[in-house]
Amino acid sequence: MQSVATMNTLSEPQFAALVDEIADDPARREQLAGLLREDHSVYDQRGTATTVRMRGWVLLALARVGISDAALLVVLEELDTGTDPYLVAAAARALRSYPNPTAAFAPFVMRAIMNLRYRDDPVSFDRYGEYVTSATGTSPVRELLATLAWLGPRARGVLTEVEALRASHGGLSKKLLVDVDRAVEVIRISRDDLECSAKVCCTLPGGLGNIFSSAAGSRRDCRPIEETKFQDHEGTAITFKEFFRGHPSIIVFFYTRCDNPLKCSLTITKLARVQKLLEVRGAAELIHTAAITYDPGFDLPERLRGYGRSRELRLDARHRMLRTTAGFTALRGHFKLGVNFIESLVNRHRIEAYVLDAEGRVASCFERIHWDESQVVDRAIEVMNERDDKTNCDGRSNVADSRALNLSAPQVFGTLASVGAALLPKCSICWAGYLSVFGIATLKQISYSPLLRALLVAVMLINVATVWLRRGSTRGITAFCLVSAGTAAVVMSRLMLGWERAAVWGVALTFAGSLLNTVTTPATRGHVRESTES
Amino acid sequence: MTKKPKKITKSKAKRKGAMKRLAGRFSIATKSRGTVKQRVAALAKVPLTASDSDEDLQAMLKVLRDKNEPAEVRLAALRSLQAATFSAAAFGSFRGDYIVALRDLAEDPNPELRQRVLGILAREKDGFAQKKLLEGLKNPEKALVPPEKALQLLSYDVHGETYQVARGIVTAAPNAIAKREALRLLAADASSAPIFEKVLRDKNEISENRQISAAALQAVQPEKLREHARQIVLDPSEYKEIQAASLTALTQFGDRAIADDEELLKRVNNLSSNAPTKVKQSARRFLSKYGR
Repeated sequence: MQSVATMNTLSEPQFAALVDEIADDPARREQLAGLLREDHSVYDQRGTATTVRMRGWVLLALARVGISDAALLVVLEELDTGTDPYLVAAAARALRSYPNPTAAFAPFVMRAIMNLRYRDDPVSFDRYGEYVTSATGTSPVRELLATLAWLGPRARGVLTEVEALRASHGGLSKKLLVDVDRAVEVIRISRDDLECSAKVCCTLPGGLGNIFSSAAGSRRDCRPIEETKFQDHEGTAITFKEFFRGHPSIIVFFYTRCDNPLKCSLTITKLARVQKLLEVRGAAELIHTAAITYDPGFDLPERLRGYGRSRELRLDARHRMLRTTAGFTALRGHFKLGVNFIESLVNRHRIEAYVLDAEGRVASCFERIHWDESQVVDRAIEVMNERDDKTNCDGRSNVADSRALNLSAPQVFGTLASVGAALLPKCSICWAGYLSVFGIATLKQISYSPLLRALLVAVMLINVATVWLRRGSTRGITAFCLVSAGTAAVVMSRLMLGWERAAVWGVALTFAGSLLNTVTTPATRGHVRESTES
Repeated sequence: MTKKPKKITKSKAKRKGAMKRLAGRFSIATKSRGTVKQRVAALAKVPLTASDSDEDLQAMLKVLRDKNEPAEVRLAALRSLQAATFSAAAFGSFRGDYIVALRDLAEDPNPELRQRVLGILAREKDGFAQKKLLEGLKNPEKALVPPEKALQLLSYDVHGETYQVARGIVTAAPNAIAKREALRLLAADASSAPIFEKVLRDKNEISENRQISAAALQAVQPEKLREHARQIVLDPSEYKEIQAASLTALTQFGDRAIADDEELLKRVNNLSSNAPTKVKQSARRFLSKYGR
C-alpha cells in the first residue's frame, strides 16, 4: 500500500489509482482532504496543468464519498476564486456531496458561474486526465447549475441573478438554458422549513471560517526566521527582525506572474484598501504592512514596485513589498504557506494574509476565502491593543508605567549607589563599627575595597547623567538639580571632615530627584495613544 | 411626416439587402458549391457577423472539421471562427463546441492546420495542448509540430513543465532555431541565469542567441549582465555587435558607479573614435551619460 507521505515520486496514473484506493477505504478517506493542501509534497515539481488534473481527481473522489468539513473550505475556495474549468466543475460536483447544504453556499456557486460563464469549456470526469474531444461530457456551468438545483430553496438569495442569466442569455449556451430553468424552478419552491433567518443564511456550517487566530500565549516564536533576509521594492536590504518586530504587521503573499486575477492581483488591491483603512483609523504609522512574493527569483525590486504602484499600494519605510534574498524555505515552513512549486515557479497557491503581533508572531491567519479588509484591520488593531493590555490593564496610564519601568532602572541604581556611597565604611574602624552594629560574625570576612567606592561613585554619576538626558521629556531640570545636589552632598560627606551628616541629606535629595524623574509621564507616547484611539 | 417612413423603409431595405448578401456569402463559404478561391473570399467577409447565429457558427465549425474539405477553405473557416471569438459575449455559448473541435483537430493530417489549432489552444493555456506539445518534445516520434514551434507555443504559459525540457534542448539542440526558442522560453527563469552567462560569453555562439541571453540576464539578474557587459566592452577580441549591445546595456541600466570606472571609461573613449559606426554611436551615448 502506497503511503501518502511518499507520493511525490508517483506518476500521474499511479496517483489516480492511489486516490481511488483511498476513496474506497472508509478508514483512509480522511486523507483525501489532506491531499488538497497546496503544500502537499505530492504537488512538488509538477506543472500547473498536472496539478489541476491531480487536484481535480481528488475533488471527484470526494464527490463520490462525501466531503468533510476539512475539505469544504477548499471546495468553497475553488468556487470563490477558481478560473480553471475542470477544477471548478469538480468542486461544484464535490459540494453536492456535502451532507448539510446551507444557504451560505449559494453566493459561492453564483460567483463561480459569473467567473466561468465565458469559459465554459467541456470537461470529462470519466477517466483520470481525460480531455473532452467530442460533444459528450459536462461543463463547469452545468455542474454549478446542478449545484444550485441541489441547494433548492436555500439558493433563494441568488434567484434574481439566476433569472437574469436566463433573460440575458449572456455567455450561456442554448443547451444550458434547460439547466437554468430547472435550477430556477427548484429554487422557487417555497418550503417553510427551509425559510432561514439572515443569521443562518450567512453562516458556514459548524462556524467554519477562513480566519484562524491564536492567543498571545500560544503563538509560535519567530526566532527561526528572524534572520531571513529581504530586499524591498527600492532594493533596500532588511531582515525579518528589523521590519516585523516592535509593532504589529499585516502580511500578504503574492507573486507578479500569477495569472488568476482573483488571487494575487486582487490581494494586492485589497492590501491597498487595508492601508487606506489604517490611515483612516490613524494606525498607518503604527501597523506595518508587507506584501511578500512567492517568486523572489523573478520579482526583482523594479517589478515589485511597478506591480504595487499600479494597484495603488502605499510604499514607504513602513509599508513595503518584499522578496527574500535568503531563507525563503524557512519562511515557507514557518508560515506553512499554502503554495507549491515547479522549480522556482508557483504551480498552485491559496490566498493567505497574516496579522503578526509586535514580536513577529502569527496572531491571525486569513486563508482561502477572500478576506474582508476591515476585518483584517480590526484584528491588527486588536493585536496592537493587546500588546498594550499585556503590559498593564489601563490604556493611557499603562503606557506611562511601562515607559517608567523601562527608564527608571538607572535612577533606582543611582539612588542605591548614593545610599551605598554614604554608608560605605571608609576604614577598618568603620568596619568594626558596622560589625558591632549588625553583630553579624560573617561580615568580618568582607575586606575593605577602594574599588567598591569608585564603582558606587561611577553609578551615581551615571544617575546624574541619565537625569540630565531625560530632562527634555520630564518636568524641566528640577529633578536634575536635586540629584546633582544630592550627589555633591554625598561626595562631600566622604571627602571632608565634619560633613558626615550631609550624607543623609545627599541620599534624600538623590532619592527625591530620581523619584521625580521616574514618575513623570512623557507627553509623546500619550499623543501616539490618542491618535490610535481616535 | 411622409418622409420618415420612407427613410425607415429605405434602411430596412438596405439591411435586408446586406443580410441577403451575407447569407449568399455564407452559403458559398459553407457549402462546397463554389470554387476554393470563392469560398475563401466568402469566408473572409463573414467573420464577425457570423457569431450572431449559433447555426452559422456550427456550419462553419462543420467546414473546419471536415477532412474532405480543401485545406485552404478549412484554414479560412478557422480564421473566421477566431475572429468571431472577439465577440466574447455572443461567442461564449459556442465556445465549448469550438474548444472540443480544436482539440480534435490537434492531430489533423494537415500540418499547418495542426499548428494553428495548437497555437490557439496554447494561448488559452489548454492542458490538452500543453500535454501533447510536451509529449512531442520528450518523444519526437509523437511530435505534432517541430520542436521550435512547440517551445514557442509552450511559452504562452510559464506555469507549464517546460523549463527542464527547454534546458535539455539548449544543451543538446536538434537545430539552431530550437535552441534559440529554448533560450527565449527560459528568459524568465532565474535559475537558468548560469546558462545565459555561458551563452553570452561564448564567442562561438551565434549573435542572436548571445543577445537573447543578454536580455534574459537583464530580466533575471541585472547585476550579472552589467558585470559581463563591462568585460565584453573591455575585451578587444570581442565581436563589435556584441560590444555595441553591451554598451547600450551599460548606458541604459548601469549605475553611477560606472562613472568612476577609469579602465572602462578609457576603453569606451577609445571605442568612440576608433570602432565601427554602430559601436562608435553606442560609445558616444555611453560617454554622454558617464563621461567627464
